[in-house]
Formats: sequence, C-alpha cells, structure tokens
Amino acid sequence: MTALETDVQRRAGAVNPNDNLIEVKDLHVHFHTTLGVVRALNGVSFNIPRGRVLGIVGESGCGKSITGLSIMQLVGRPGKIEGGEVLFNESGDKPVDILKIGRHSDEMHHIRGNSIGMIFQEPMTSLNPLFTVGKQIEEAVLLHQTQNHEEARRRAINILDKVGMPNPQRIADSYPHQLSGGMRQRAMIAMALSCTPTLLIADEPTTALDVTTEAQILELMRDLQKEIGTSIMFITHNMGVVAQMCDEVAVMYLGKVVERATVDDIFYDPKHPYTISLLRSIPRLGSQRHGRLDAIKGSVPDPYSTVTGCPFHPRCPSFMPGLCDTLVPAETRVEAEHLHTVRCHLHPGSTVLGKFGSSGGVAAEGVVPDAVNAPSYASEPMVIPGSGGGTVNNSAEPNLTPGDVDDGAAPRVNRK
Amino acid sequence: MLNYIIRRLLYMLVTLCFVAIISFMLLDLTPGSYLDTEISRLRQAGGNLSDGQVAALKIRYGVGDPFPLKFGKWIVGVVQGDFGQSFEFSVPVSSLIWGRLAFSLILATSSIIFAWLISIPLGVYSATHRYTIPDYIITVLQFVGVAIPEFLIALVLMVVSASVFHADVGGLFSPAYADAAWSGAKFADFLKHVWIPIVVIGASSTAWLTRVMRANLLDVLNAQYVQTARAKGLGEGLVIWKHAVRNALHPLIMAAGGILPALISGEVIASIVLNLPTTGPLFINALIKKDTYLAVAFLLLLSVMLVVGNLLADLALAWVDPRIRLE
Amino acid sequence: MATPNLAKPIGARPVAAKAVKADTSQISQGRLMVRRFMQSKLSVFGGIALIIMYLLALFAPFFAPYDINEIDTNYQWSGPSSLTFAGGWPGICGVKQTLDQKNFAWVYTKDCTQSNPIQLFVHGSTYSVLGLFNSDLHLFGVSKLAKIYIWGADSQGRDIFGRILVGARVSLSVGLVGVGFSTILGSILGTASGYFGGIIDNLMQRVIELISSIPTLPLYATIAATLPHDISVTQRFFLITVVLSLVTWTGLARQVRGKVLGYRGADYTSAARLAGASHTRVIMNHMLPNAVSHIIVVAALAVPGAILGETALSFLGLGMLPPAVSWGVLLRDAQQVQVVTTYPWLMIPGAAVIAAVLCFNLLGDGLRDAVDPYG
Repeated sequence: MTALETDVQRRAGAVNPNDNLIEVKDLHVHFHTTLGVVRALNGVSFNIPRGRVLGIVGESGCGKSITGLSIMQLVGRPGKIEGGEVLFNESGDKPVDILKIGRHSDEMHHIRGNSIGMIFQEPMTSLNPLFTVGKQIEEAVLLHQTQNHEEARRRAINILDKVGMPNPQRIADSYPHQLSGGMRQRAMIAMALSCTPTLLIADEPTTALDVTTEAQILELMRDLQKEIGTSIMFITHNMGVVAQMCDEVAVMYLGKVVERATVDDIFYDPKHPYTISLLRSIPRLGSQRHGRLDAIKGSVPDPYSTVTGCPFHPRCPSFMPGLCDTLVPAETRVEAEHLHTVRCHLHPGSTVLGKFGSSGGVAAEGVVPDAVNAPSYASEPMVIPGSGGGTVNNSAEPNLTPGDVDDGAAPRVNRK
Repeated sequence: MLNYIIRRLLYMLVTLCFVAIISFMLLDLTPGSYLDTEISRLRQAGGNLSDGQVAALKIRYGVGDPFPLKFGKWIVGVVQGDFGQSFEFSVPVSSLIWGRLAFSLILATSSIIFAWLISIPLGVYSATHRYTIPDYIITVLQFVGVAIPEFLIALVLMVVSASVFHADVGGLFSPAYADAAWSGAKFADFLKHVWIPIVVIGASSTAWLTRVMRANLLDVLNAQYVQTARAKGLGEGLVIWKHAVRNALHPLIMAAGGILPALISGEVIASIVLNLPTTGPLFINALIKKDTYLAVAFLLLLSVMLVVGNLLADLALAWVDPRIRLE
Repeated sequence: MATPNLAKPIGARPVAAKAVKADTSQISQGRLMVRRFMQSKLSVFGGIALIIMYLLALFAPFFAPYDINEIDTNYQWSGPSSLTFAGGWPGICGVKQTLDQKNFAWVYTKDCTQSNPIQLFVHGSTYSVLGLFNSDLHLFGVSKLAKIYIWGADSQGRDIFGRILVGARVSLSVGLVGVGFSTILGSILGTASGYFGGIIDNLMQRVIELISSIPTLPLYATIAATLPHDISVTQRFFLITVVLSLVTWTGLARQVRGKVLGYRGADYTSAARLAGASHTRVIMNHMLPNAVSHIIVVAALAVPGAILGETALSFLGLGMLPPAVSWGVLLRDAQQVQVVTTYPWLMIPGAAVIAAVLCFNLLGDGLRDAVDPYG
C-alpha cells in the first residue's frame, strides 16, 4: 500500500512538484470511551493542492469533522491522534509535519488562526456570546498580525466589510445574539480570514443556514477564495454544495477516504459504489417524475462495532462475499485518469495483500472465502491471506509466493 | 434596564409584605404567649396578680387584640422603624436587632466572597484536569463538604482548637474587646476571630459552588465558541480564563442566589455553636421563649437580606451577560 | 482489462449484510439507565451503604447490645471500650470508675490485664422485632460483669452505638417520609401549574417565590416553634415531616413544572389531545411516565436536605424532643464545646449524619447521570 501511495504521489508530483499545500497521510484518530474504542479515522490520506478547494463529503459520523480538527490538532478528549502525518507546506519549499508540533506549543498557536483558519458548522454557537463581534475578530488580529489596537480594529472592520456586512462599524460593536444566523456565519468567515490564512477549513459552514443564505455564503466564500488565493478544505454532506464550491472531492466513509477525484470525475465518472450510491440518492430536476429515489441500504454501522474488510461492504450493492468482507481494499489510482483514486475491490489494484482487516482492527482469518462467486473475478486467480502467510488459489495457479506476503511487500493481485 | 430594576423592587416589596403577614401569623398562631410565662413568673415571685392587673398586662402587650388589628398596629410601626417591644428584654426590638444583623450581614457577605474565591479556581482546576488525582480529591472533598452540617464543622473546629491549641475560638471578640469601642486593636482582634465563622458558614457553599463551577465549565468547554477561540490560535490559558470561565460564571452567579438561603441558615445555626453576637442565638431563643415581636423582626429582616441578595445576583448576571443586559 | 460493470451490480444483487457485534442501539432505555448507573461505582456503593443503614435501623435492637434507655450510673460518660486480645479471643478491657475530687468528674481507668471476651448472639434485654414477636437475642455482648460501649456512653451511661442505630429510624425515615410528602405535593402542583398555565401557574409561581424568599432554616424553626409541646412522639414526628415538606415541595414543583411545560409543547401531546384524549389521560399516560425518572432523581437529591433539616431542628431543640431519639437529639448533648472536648465520642452521631447524607448524594448523582446523561 505504501508503495502504491508513493507511486500515486510521484506521478502527481510529476506535474508540479510543489503542488500540495497540505498532505494528510494515513491519519488515525481513536476515541477511547467507556463503551469501547471508536476508530473515528482509520488511515485517512488526501492532499489539497495550493489554491484549490477540496470538498470532503460523507455521511454523518464518517469522520469529516474529525479530519478537520486533527489538522488543527484540536481533537479533544477522549479522542487521540494515534498515527499519521499532516504535512503542511505553507512556504512551498519545506513541509512541516503538524502532528509533530506540540499541541500547546507557540508554533502550533501560530499556525492556528494565522496559517490555517477554521469555520464551524453552527454559526449560532461558534461566537462567544459575551464579546462583541469586533472584539473577537480583533483578538485574532492582535494575536498574529499587529500589536496596535487601532490597527486591529481597522482591520476587523475592513474584513467585516469584505464579507459583505452592510454596516461594518455597527456590526463590530454588536454582540453575536443581535445578529442573524447568516450574519454570524459571515462574521465567522471574517474572523477566519482576518489573518489571511493559506488554508481555510470550513466544517459544514452552510448546513445550519437556509437555502438563500447558503447560496450567498457560498458565493462569498468562492469570491474570497479567488481574491485571497486561500486553499479551502470544504467539509460537507451536501453533493449540491460540492458541485458549486469545489475543485476536487474526497469521499469519506467510516474514517477512510474511499474515492478522491476532481469534481467532474466524481459527478460524471464515479468509481466507488458508495460514491455512486451517494449520487443516486440526490433528487434531480428532469428525472422520472414517479421514480423512487435510491437510498443507500442500511445505515452507518454502530461506531463501537468493527467491520472487517471493506468498511462499506455490509451496505454495498456490489458486495462480493469472501473478498470484500475480509480484505481491506487499498487505494488505487484509476487507470489513465490523473489524480483519481479509489478504494474498492472492483478496481484493478485495490486487492492488495500484506495489510488487511485494519478497518476494524480484526485481521482476516485464514479461511478461504469463496471468491469464485464474485462475478468479475470468476475466472481470475485470487490471493487470500492465510494465517500462516500462505496463499491459496481457487482453481487457478497461484502467482504469489508465501514469502512475498511475509515480507510485507504489498504485492498486488495480478488481474488482466 | 432601569425599568427592570424598578419592577423588581416593587415585586420585592409585595413579596416582603406577604412574608410579614405570614411570619406574623405563624408566630401569632403559637399556642400560649409570652404573657402566660410572664404572669406565672410574677405569681411565683410572690405577687398576687389580680384579674385587673392581668387585663392591664394584656392590653399593654396587645395580646387580646384580634389579628388584623394587631398586625395593622405592628406593620404601621415597622414602616416607621418600630418593630415593637421585646417581651423578654423589655426594650424596643429595634434596639436589639440592628447590631446583630450587621454582623450577620458581614458574615454572610464575607462567606460568599470566601466561597467564590476558593471555589472558582478549584472548579476550574478540577474541570481542566478531569480524571486526575487532584480532581478526585477535590470531588471527594466537595461531596463531604456538602454533606457536613455547619454546626458540626463549627463544633469540630472549636474542639480541635480547644484541645490542640488550647484556645477558645468562639465569639467574634476576645473578652477584653467585647464591649470596647471600635479601634485598630479591636479590629485586629475581630479579624483574628472572624475567619472561623467565615470558614464554617462558607464551607458547604464552597463545596457546592466548586461542583457547579466544575460542571458548568465542563459544559462550556464543549461549546463551539471555545473551539473557535482555540482555532484562532489563543493559548489554552486564555481560552479557558477569557472565553470559557467567563461564560461558566453565569450559572455560578445564579447559584449564588440559590446558596443565600443556605448561607443565612448556616449563619443562624453556626452562630449558636460559635457563640457569635449575630442573629442566630437571639432568634432561636426568641422562638423558644415566644418573644413574638423579636422573632418576627428577625425573620422579616433575614428575608429582606435574602431577597436583596437575590436581586443583586440578578443584577450581577445582567451586568456580565450582554444577552440579558441588552434585552 | 475487465473493468467491472458498475451500473449493473447496484441494487441487482441481494446484500449480505454482516452482523456486527455489540449493537448498543438495541438496548432498551431502561436497561441503558441501569447500565449507566452500575458504571458509577460510587453511586452503587452509596446505594448499598444506604440499604445496610436502613437494615441496621430496622433491626437496631438486635445489633445494639443493650436497651437504649438503660441508665447505668457506673458508666456515665464512659469512653469507647478498648479492645484487647489478652484472652486469645477479642475482648474488652475492664474499666474502673473513680471520682476526680478536684474537677468533680468521673474518671475511668482501664485494666487490660483482665479481658471480657466478646460473645456473639447473647441474650439480653427483650425487644419486639418489627412488632411481630419478641426476642432477647443480641448480635454481640459481654458477660454481665462488664459493659461493652463500642462508641462510648452518654451522660447517663446509655450506649451511644445503640442510640445511633435507633436514632437512625427517625433520622433516616424523616427524610424519606418528608420527601415523599413533598414529592406528591410537588408533582401534583407542578403538573397542574405547568399543564394548565394561566392563573393557576401564575399563582403557584408567586407562592413558590414567597416561600423561597424566607431563609430555609429560620422558616423551619419558626414553623416548628408553633408546634404544641404536649403531643406524642409519633405525632411530633409526623408534624416535623410536614414542616420539612412544606418547604421542600417548592423545588420539586419547579422541576416538574419545567418538565411538563416541555412536554406540553411536544407534538405527541398535541396529537393525543387532537385524538380526543382527556386532560387526565394526557397527564397520566403521556406526561407522568416521561417525568417519573426525573421526579425520582430530584426526590433522591432532596432527601439529604430533609435529613439535615431534621438534624438542625432537633439540635436547636425545635425538632424531635427527648425521650425521642434521633441523630439531631443525640447531637444536642454535644452542644457544649467544653463537654465535647472532654468526651469527643459525643460527636459520633454527626458522623452518622454525614455518612447518610453523603450516600444519598452519591446515589442521587448516579441516578441523575443514569437518567439524563446530558442534563
């Protein structure tokens, strides 16, 4: 898997070596609760190219918000970042691993708010009710940009004006409870952008707003993004918003990125059954009037439970018994398409040995699943991990030696 | 805001009128009156009281009057600052109560300040260091503190200081200064004595407020705006003290109104054990001896203390919270 | 290159959903509450300790070695007996009473060479077991030659240990009965106030406000002072519980009112009303079952206040009066600092009060967290 990832990165890098503002690699976050361990993030990997807008999509509970908080190192108890890297390359030549910086260090405080801004989902609760909007923006400016209070206030009013506040002076002296939801979200955006960060993490910024306000806020963000050149990590569960806002999309399911592509590819050429299902569940204009809307079968599994193999397999319409429920699909680059990766056994290259069952921490047992039944693989040789590290073949000749598996060399199943 | 205060003040007056009626009625209901005790005392002293003399006494004490008349006479007097005559001490009630009430007020106020000064840092520490050993110790102390009646703390403190330090810590003054005029030395002596009642009266409130503070802060720490403050790049200390604690203070101020009755009750009972020149001993004694006017005056004025305290707590709340202030 | 046909498999094949373990969503609300409660070890401990306390109180004469009213001038203010193993078996030291001529106080000298072995299941004073039958069996005791006072004796040589056990009957039940009264009163008035609103609600709120503007203890004391003196212990006990509940009901009524107000706005209540359900039916079938767990929690947390109230009143001489025995009455002996300094075991009833209040608080907290983990 690692070999594959570097492969993907190398190819991506070939286009522009200093392309990525931020690179998240194999991020793991666990919540240790009294009822058990919740593996919120299970090896999340993605990158955000400089100046682009990446949409992170997924159902509630898939780990979208935790990913955002992890980048800021703001995951609170009982959550804990268990592993992974977050390479932040602000200057363009020397990437810093944010996770290696102390949570409470000055360096981290300097990154928060100054280099990376964040907007939260609930505009009603994300501003402190006891301070005026202006004071709260000034606080960030004073922290990172200037020591001068007048200058800070000027900047605060300036940025409030920029986010389209009708009377910025008056707004600056208002308390949050005197503003509407949309106004508060504008204030939040103003606060997040007050120090012109290179990355803005927007965690469902429009979910709590009505449709008209949502459109305004999205337009505002889009405009500001163009103007300031900030990269945006846009977390949402709304495919419509993704289409409007994003350049690229990462689809998440149960703490993993299952598909990553440009926004066009996601909408016109989705590869992962989950992405396909997600798109099918959106009502659209001009569709059959009396047709039923497709819903994804079942629901997100209980967070305390463990799912073996591909996390989506219990709900997957293309479920292949014996394969999907035992083996975790690796991230594969979709042939010939630049920067389109997917984690699904339906795609060549995803079925990789060497690391398995990690989505629930339950290793696949050495039982031979009846992979012959899987339609697309009926005539193909299958390599299944054995408890002793051996390979098993179904009716076809093995193309791997046991040693390959033991070496952890992540061999691929050869398919033609 | 001004409207609000005026409305609250009027409300308060109405409430206090009812308190006056109720307390007067309660004590008037009491079977037997001070007069009965007084008459039997006079008879025992050898005097042979004629029926005429008894009747004269009854008129003097107003015992025979119907309730509305008695109450009317009394309330008119109260408005003019005359709380009636103490049966037992044969002096006007107002000459007995003010000094004692002043000490009660000082003790209650100091205790609440004491409770706040101790409970806020403890609660903040406890909430920000959840599930650590100091947190567990604070939690245990707080549970025990709520469970101990004030008079027991008072007793234990007295016994310990008597047996270990061989010092009498009762009262608010050393005997030498008790009747002396106020002076620097007397004030120093007062300070030497006053901390014990403050600790005793404030203990359970401290425990309670620590608990409220901890719970509130834990709530507030989950609030989105705290995360916003962190995302801004503020250090954890500023996040907690500037953004979280200030928001967690609201319920604490509201709780301050709630602990006032407990504080006043604690003061009453602790002062009996500690032998303080405050309302407690005289009030309970008046109740037992059925010295009606004295008891009613105390009950009424303790209620005034409580109601005014609550009003102040509400005003403080409006002062710190723009949502209430700008309503 | 066999790219799988994506369009076809979707929805075309039956999904073999795999069972996942430990599905917490399948546990009933009640079981979840029990589970949450059991997780809080302190609360479980509080609950068990309370059960033990109540059992000790119920069978007090069996656990107490002597009749609690038995006066023994040979042991006035005698301290707790000292344990000795001189006889190879746990026993107590003998004591000798002498009069200190200077201070005019009894002085006890212990003599541990002579051990009075502790015996189990001894026969002693006769008592009635729950009013059903008589017994003279006591859990422990010593031979008639000595007396065992594990927590010392009072001014008349009465056994403080036994008196605390018997006093628990009043002190522990005053809380339960008093809170029981106020729960009933508070639930009815709170429900009426929250459900019907309008004038009833307004009036109720003013009454509650009025009661809460008088400091608690002075109010208790004033009401208690109006109680007649020439009534039986049982009558007095009953009246004291009434006094306590007259004040505590306000807190309960407030809580219930708040809950009911919330339920009144809920859609299911409107639905029930629209379906033609009567007010009584809506209250009894839709609101009370929802509120009951909260009422229990609030009640459990109100018990300590009632226990402390009774103790304080009795301590001041306005609550239970001798010969009745309660922890507050026992603590009256400890009012004089000089006396307590000499005979510190007179404060042991205070420890009992603290233990009971602590356990009720622990229990109530655990219940609250179990019922309403986010509240």
